Amino acid sequence: MDIKRRSFLKGIAGAGAGVAATPLISGTALARESYKLQDEHVGMLYDNTRCVGCKSCEVACKRANNLPVEPDEALGIYDAPRDLSEKTMNIIKMYKDEDETAYIKRQCMHCVDPSCVSGCPVSALNKQPNGIVTWDADACCGCRYCEMNCPFNIPKYEYNEFYGKIVKCEMCINTNLPKHGQPACTEACPNEAVIFGKTKALLAEAKRRIKESPHLYVNQVYGEKEGGGTSVLYLTKAAVPFSKLGLPSLPDYSQASASESIQHTLYQGLIAPIVIYAGLAAIAFKNRSGDKEE
Amino acid sequence: MDHAKPVGGKIFTPPILFLSLLFLIGFYFLVVRYIYGIGSVSNLSHHQAWGVWKVMGVLVGAALVNGGYVTAFVVYIINKGTYHRFVRQAVLFSLLGYSFAGFSLAYDTGRYIGLLNFFIPKYMQTNSVLFEVGICITAYILILAIEILPAILEKFMPEGGQQNWAASLHAYLNKILFLTVAFGVLLPTMHQSGLGGLAFLFGQKLSPLWQTPLISLLYVISSIFMGFCIVIALECLTVADFKSKSYVNMLGTMMKMAFYVAILYSVIRWIEIFRNGAAGQAMELSFESLFFWAEWILIVIGLYLVSGQKKLSSPKNLFLGSCVLLTGGILYRLNTYIIGYESVPGLTYFPSLPELMISIGMFALQIIIFITIIKIFPVITKE
Repeated sequence: MDIKRRSFLKGIAGAGAGVAATPLISGTALARESYKLQDEHVGMLYDNTRCVGCKSCEVACKRANNLPVEPDEALGIYDAPRDLSEKTMNIIKMYKDEDETAYIKRQCMHCVDPSCVSGCPVSALNKQPNGIVTWDADACCGCRYCEMNCPFNIPKYEYNEFYGKIVKCEMCINTNLPKHGQPACTEACPNEAVIFGKTKALLAEAKRRIKESPHLYVNQVYGEKEGGGTSVLYLTKAAVPFSKLGLPSLPDYSQASASESIQHTLYQGLIAPIVIYAGLAAIAFKNRSGDKEE
Repeated sequence: MDHAKPVGGKIFTPPILFLSLLFLIGFYFLVVRYIYGIGSVSNLSHHQAWGVWKVMGVLVGAALVNGGYVTAFVVYIINKGTYHRFVRQAVLFSLLGYSFAGFSLAYDTGRYIGLLNFFIPKYMQTNSVLFEVGICITAYILILAIEILPAILEKFMPEGGQQNWAASLHAYLNKILFLTVAFGVLLPTMHQSGLGGLAFLFGQKLSPLWQTPLISLLYVISSIFMGFCIVIALECLTVADFKSKSYVNMLGTMMKMAFYVAILYSVIRWIEIFRNGAAGQAMELSFESLFFWAEWILIVIGLYLVSGQKKLSSPKNLFLGSCVLLTGGILYRLNTYIIGYESVPGLTYFPSLPELMISIGMFALQIIIFITIIKIFPVITKE
C-alpha cells in the first residue's frame, strides 16, 4: 500500500506549492507600485563639492540628540567615530585616492518607500506625513529585521545595553526641527554643503546645479530614483562616482514594493488561506473513516 | 488503531545527565545575556544582526521539526492510515521545536517585552512577512499542542473504556480532528514560505546565488523534504523496528517522497540561479561559492544514497540519506541568512562560544524533554 506518487504530488500542488506559486500566476493583479514622493516630504541635499569635512554637523547632531561620544583612544581624539553606530547617527566620511579627495555625509536616507517600515512586524518604524522615518520605542520588539533589510545599513541596535534601543537619524523630528525649523546638521553647516527643505524643491535645486556647472558634477542626483527614491539627495564631484563613496547602486524600484506584491498576492483579504483551509478540512473530514483502513 | 505505548525506563540516564550539563552551561550564559545585553555574549553586530540564535533556533529549527506537517499531510490528506504510527512522535518533536523557536526569540530579540505587540491590534503590521511568520508560528504551536493532547490524555483515561473527563475530552478532540489537521497543514505552509520570504527584502544584500523572488516557494519545498527526512531519522534513532518489513517499506516510501520533492527543489533552484545570472559567481573561488557547492554536494550525495528501490529498503541508507539531505537543507538556510548575506563587504560573522552554548544548551533541553515525554506518555508505536 504505497502512497501513490501521483496522488501525493497532486496534494502538494493543491496545498503546498500552490500557495507559494500564486504570485507567478496572478502576480501582476496585486502588484504594489513603489510609493511616490509627496509634495510635503522634507529632506536634505548634500553636495560634496561644497563640503570641507569640518564635521560641525557631527558635533551638532550629537549635541541636539544627546548622543555619547566615541573616543579614538589610539589617536587620542575625543570623538572620532569610524562609521555610523548606536552612538553616531550622522557622520562625514572621506574617500581619498592619488588625485582626489571627496567627502560623503551618511545618515538615514528617509527612503520614499522604506524596507524597514515594510518589514517591521510591530509598526515600530513609521513614515510620517512629512516623509521622515521615525522609530517608536513602545512598539519595537528588537528583532533587528530593520538592521538586516536596510539597503543603506542605517538602523543600529544598542548591543551593549541590557534593553537596547534602535538608533537612527530622525531628522531631529523631536529635537532641533521643532525648535529651529531644521535639523541640527543642516543648521550647523557653515558652507551650505547640506541644506534642508522640501525634497521636491531640493531635487530641482540639485538639477539646477548640475545644469549650471555640468563639468563640476557627476550627472546624476543620487536618491532621485535609487531604491524607489529617497528624501535625502546627494551630488558628487565629477571625479568621484557615487560607488566610490560607499553608496550602493540600487534598482529604481523599492524592494519593499517587490516584497509586498508577493505578500499581498498570497494574503489579500486572507482569501487564499481560507479557501485552502476549507479544502484541507473537507478532505480530512472525508478521510475520517478511511483512517482505520489498510 | 493506536498501539502507542510509553517507552518506560529510568529518566536520569548518563546521556540525559550529559545533556543537562550542556543545558546548565547555556543557562549560565543566558543569565549573563539578560543582565548585560546581547553584545556581552554574542558576536552579533551591526553588519550581522541575525546570527545563530535566529538562524539556527528559528529558521533551521522550524524546518528541522517539520515532521508534524508532513505526517499530518500523508495521514489525513492523502489518507494513509497506516502511517499514523509516525504522527505522534513527529508532532511531539514539532511541538517542542516550535516552542523552543518561540523561546529563542525571547533571548534573541533586544526588546523582548515588545514581542507582545504582535498580538496588539494597533501595532500589527500586516504588510510584514515577519509579522505573518510570528502569528502563524504562534497559532501552529497551539495546533500542535491540541494534536499531541490525546497522547497525554490517554495516560489519564481509566482502563477498560470507562468514561471520565479525559476520555470525553479525548473523544471530542477526535471529533474535531479534521479541523485541527487542516490548520496543521495550512499554517506550516504559510510560515515555512514566510521564513524564506524574509530574505527577499534583503534585496542585493543577499548574493544572487540565493536571492530570488521564488525564495518563499523554495523554502516550503525544502521544508517538505526536510520534514520527511527528520521523521525517518528520528524513527531510526528511537523506534528502529527494522525487523518489521512493512515498517521499513513505509520509511522507504516516505524517503521516496523526500527524494522527488528534493529533485523538484533542485530544479527550481537551478533555474533561478541561471535566470539570476549567478552561474558565473558559482564558478568563482570564494567563501560564498565554497558553501554553495558544499550545499549541493550534500544534496547530491543524499539523493544518491536513496536512489533506487534497493537502497530504499536498506535502513542504513535510509538513515544516512535522510541525515545528509537534512544537512543540505540546513546549509541552504545558513547560506541564505549568514554566508550569502553581506551588508558590509569584507566583514564576516562567526558565533562566539557563549552564543553557541546558549543555542546548544537550549537544544539539549529540548532533547531532554522529548526523551522524558516518550518514556512517560504513549507516543511511540512499536510492534
